Amino acid sequence: MAVITLPYKYLERLTRTDKKTILEKVPLIGSDVERIEEDHADVEFFPDRPDLFSPEGVARAMRGYLGIETGLPSYPVKPSGIKFTVDPQLAEIRPILGAAVIRGVKFDDESIQSIMSLQESLHWAVGRGRSKVAIGIHDMDTVRPPFHYIASPRSRGFIPLDFTGKMTMDEILEKHPKGRDYAKIVKDFPLFPLIVDDDDHVLSFPPIINGERTRVTIDTKNILLDTTGTDKRAVSVAVNIICTAMAEAGATIESVEIGGVQTPTLAPAERVVSATECSRILGVDLTPATMSEFLRKMRFGAEPAGADKVKVQVPCYRADIMHDWDLFEDVAIAYGYDKLESHPPKTFTVGKPHPVQASVVLAREAFTGLGYLEVMPFTLTNEDVLYKRMQRPETKGVLHVIHPISIENTVVRTELLPLLLEFLTINRHRELPQRLFTVGDVVLDCRTHQQAAGVSTHPDADLSEAYATTDAVLHELSIDYTVSESADPAFIDGRRGDIMVNGIKVGVFGEIHPAVLLAFELEHSVAAFEFDLRAVPGYPVL
Amino acid sequence: MVELTQNEKRLLATLEKEQKADAEHLASVMGATPEAVVQWAHLAGDKGLAGVERIVEKTFVYTDEGKAYLKNGLPETQLLRFVLPGTQLVDLQKHDVFKIGFGQLRKKGLVNVEGTSVTKTPGTSTDADEAALKNPSASDPKTKDLIKRGILQESETVRYVISATPEGLRLAVKGLDLREETGTLTREQIISGAWKTANLRRYDVSKLPKKAYPGKIHPYQRIIGEMREILLEMGFTELYGDIVQQSFWNFDALFQPQDHPAREMQDTFYLKETLPLPEGYEKVKAMHISGGDTSSTGWGGVWKEEKAEQCVLRTHTTSLSIQYLAQHPNPPVKAFAVGRVYRRETIDTTHLAEFEQLEGIVMDENVTFGNLLGILREFYNRMGFESVRFKPSFYPYTEPSLDAEVYVDGIGWIEMGGAGVFREEVTAPLGIKYPVLAWGLGVSRIAMLRLGLKDLRLLHKSDVAFLRETPSLRPTKGGI
Repeated sequence: MAVITLPYKYLERLTRTDKKTILEKVPLIGSDVERIEEDHADVEFFPDRPDLFSPEGVARAMRGYLGIETGLPSYPVKPSGIKFTVDPQLAEIRPILGAAVIRGVKFDDESIQSIMSLQESLHWAVGRGRSKVAIGIHDMDTVRPPFHYIASPRSRGFIPLDFTGKMTMDEILEKHPKGRDYAKIVKDFPLFPLIVDDDDHVLSFPPIINGERTRVTIDTKNILLDTTGTDKRAVSVAVNIICTAMAEAGATIESVEIGGVQTPTLAPAERVVSATECSRILGVDLTPATMSEFLRKMRFGAEPAGADKVKVQVPCYRADIMHDWDLFEDVAIAYGYDKLESHPPKTFTVGKPHPVQASVVLAREAFTGLGYLEVMPFTLTNEDVLYKRMQRPETKGVLHVIHPISIENTVVRTELLPLLLEFLTINRHRELPQRLFTVGDVVLDCRTHQQAAGVSTHPDADLSEAYATTDAVLHELSIDYTVSESADPAFIDGRRGDIMVNGIKVGVFGEIHPAVLLAFELEHSVAAFEFDLRAVPGYPVL
Repeated sequence: MVELTQNEKRLLATLEKEQKADAEHLASVMGATPEAVVQWAHLAGDKGLAGVERIVEKTFVYTDEGKAYLKNGLPETQLLRFVLPGTQLVDLQKHDVFKIGFGQLRKKGLVNVEGTSVTKTPGTSTDADEAALKNPSASDPKTKDLIKRGILQESETVRYVISATPEGLRLAVKGLDLREETGTLTREQIISGAWKTANLRRYDVSKLPKKAYPGKIHPYQRIIGEMREILLEMGFTELYGDIVQQSFWNFDALFQPQDHPAREMQDTFYLKETLPLPEGYEKVKAMHISGGDTSSTGWGGVWKEEKAEQCVLRTHTTSLSIQYLAQHPNPPVKAFAVGRVYRRETIDTTHLAEFEQLEGIVMDENVTFGNLLGILREFYNRMGFESVRFKPSFYPYTEPSLDAEVYVDGIGWIEMGGAGVFREEVTAPLGIKYPVLAWGLGVSRIAMLRLGLKDLRLLHKSDVAFLRETPSLRPTKGGI
């Protein structure tokens, strides 16, 4: 999520209304006001609306929403006459270039900060951490066009931003903080992307760092924007958002020529949508005229086109409009979620629990009837708890997560019993007897099923208690079982039994082995059992 | 009136005669052990009827060595008897007690050694040491010395002096029923009719003698159960399914672009396992690349089969909903699931790497975004939250999207969950022709509020005392 700083004075000037109105209404276009400070507010916007990641963008949207200025904002672009060449060797490295000239900027500390944080937010939301899009902003009066986007030897040097000495690009990846942060995007390429002017001065080493030479300061009047990346649409969105935000702040935008094409155009996209379909989705009655009005409030150009259709002009900065329904959401926002008629649908349906629940509910009932207390352990655990402490070999089909958060959570549980013993460890200081059970998912070979397990600990817990409890629960669940000698090393030899159904082992019960007790730091004997709920008649085949 | 046990009554009756006496004495009178008498006296004492005084006395006992010295004198005394004018050291060495005795004589300066001859120090004796041996006293430093030498041992004896309080005496004087008491009625007593004349012990019911702990369902499971029941009442079909899901069903089928940050290793638990893509996956692929046959542009770029085949621990139960829709493309569909979902988050008091999510979907010919608000309002109202409001939000697979908030007294508006209409990019490849309303909420958030937990981990690593103390019925007010 992007949290945007909105200085009140600047925002009020741009929006042409007071901050109280803005702060009250800004959540209604889709945001959370995080903090209200003396001179500014921090507001969080959603990642699908990078056009709102600047005070200029927020002001533009709020003017529409509040009815101060509606419809499509216009951003005239005239050619700057400046050209960019693109080295064909970049095709495999970082092929896409977008650029623009922004003239007549008037910076102060706040607006420089604002453009820098817009750049950072775009790197995150549109640029996927600079891999898809990276943006450079330069003081254009320090360099001489035409500009060249080239694939350069890695040994080439220049003075990177915030440094005083010349460094090679290889050194930058190693020593510059930004170089270290983003090295992984380029480090495997034999040549590195580089933007230079006609005198071979370095403007930028995208997506890593700009040159110190073109640093933007409070005195900068004219800006050259470079945007490089791997995705054409994303690069163009980033250019459009920055250019229109700067235009909102009073600058004029000029295009540059890249490969014979003038860019950017800042022209809207067109879409024709149906008012009937919009009404059907939202559950309100809309005519093309009323729908157009709502869309204009959201800064779209919109005109009725016939009995059902609306012709919509989508501003160039609205990257999120991929589908007609994206426009319908804007209609709903303009209409007001609080005004939408909300009632449940009328179709008759019958509720139906999942068949697995029948076994689960009855197992719970049997356990609680026997005085067992339910616990709900985590499903992520580790080999030490599941196997080593239990003296058991690793269960076949156990799944290991590739990047665990900690050594505590490396595998998905294949049994429940070890987790119950862990529970007894946590509750060592609590009054005995303790009788605990759990019913829940275990995973083997990517397949999930339910098991049930119980433990009872007190000085007299023994095989006969484990056997009797197992028998009681299995009987309640109509599991027709037999018992054979078990070899499960978690239990004491001669005090353990395998639960068999139709010749297949479905569970085990017995007295926990003293070595296992000690491994779980337990001092009293434990009668325990676990069985597979798939043995319950009627358990569904999934 | 206070209830007295038979033994307390007997004690008070005895004290009426004895007034004040040692426990030992009372025990012999009552034919009981002193320990039992003290226990009864404490019980009566708790009711203000008797006083118990604990008296600790220090006594000294002789060790075996000490007993011998008491008879023969201390080793130094014994040895000193042989120190005569002209005594040589070698003469003394013949004596049994030489080692201990000579050391003491030297230490206390009772003898002088010059060359090989030993002489008494004039004007000294062991009389004071012998006196200390005969009459040890805690205040005498010589006694301490004897203890150190292992000749004496200090021992503490505790005795109890028991007396009746004026109130206890008053009761005793008034007369106590001293007939044999019956505790638990036996079968014999019941069928023989002996119960009619038996003196049934009266119990003090103002105090709970012992706690009993029932077996019961986890309080969190109860909250989940309540939500399930509400949804079943509202006509929803319950879903249940695999924790391990293919990226295809967890992400791609939900139109989540393959380069979406939520899909990174950093946020999702990946497994090395893969599963083959389902039949017809190409439609989803086409949707990602170009928007298929819909008005969508798609995400553009590339879509890789290998990425979709990778298995993950499901990050939401939507992976179940979407597969259910794929299997049931005809209206009406109303389904829900409550299940564990997994996010690769650093675990702390309010974040867990696994938590329960509740999710519902409705697909029907004429359902609308307004209906979705209606369902949510109904659900939250039934959960006890009277005020519900909605605001715009963003979810990658719904459009329009919303967040639902409920009002909780004393806290304010709380975000409870997200919802929206499944994007056509999600439903079209599955052959679904009607809108799908979808919504989800974090169950643990409500549990945390209701159970007053400060740490979410306690839901899963619970203190047994917390589970025992939390009643099955927790009256709620305003949903909490």
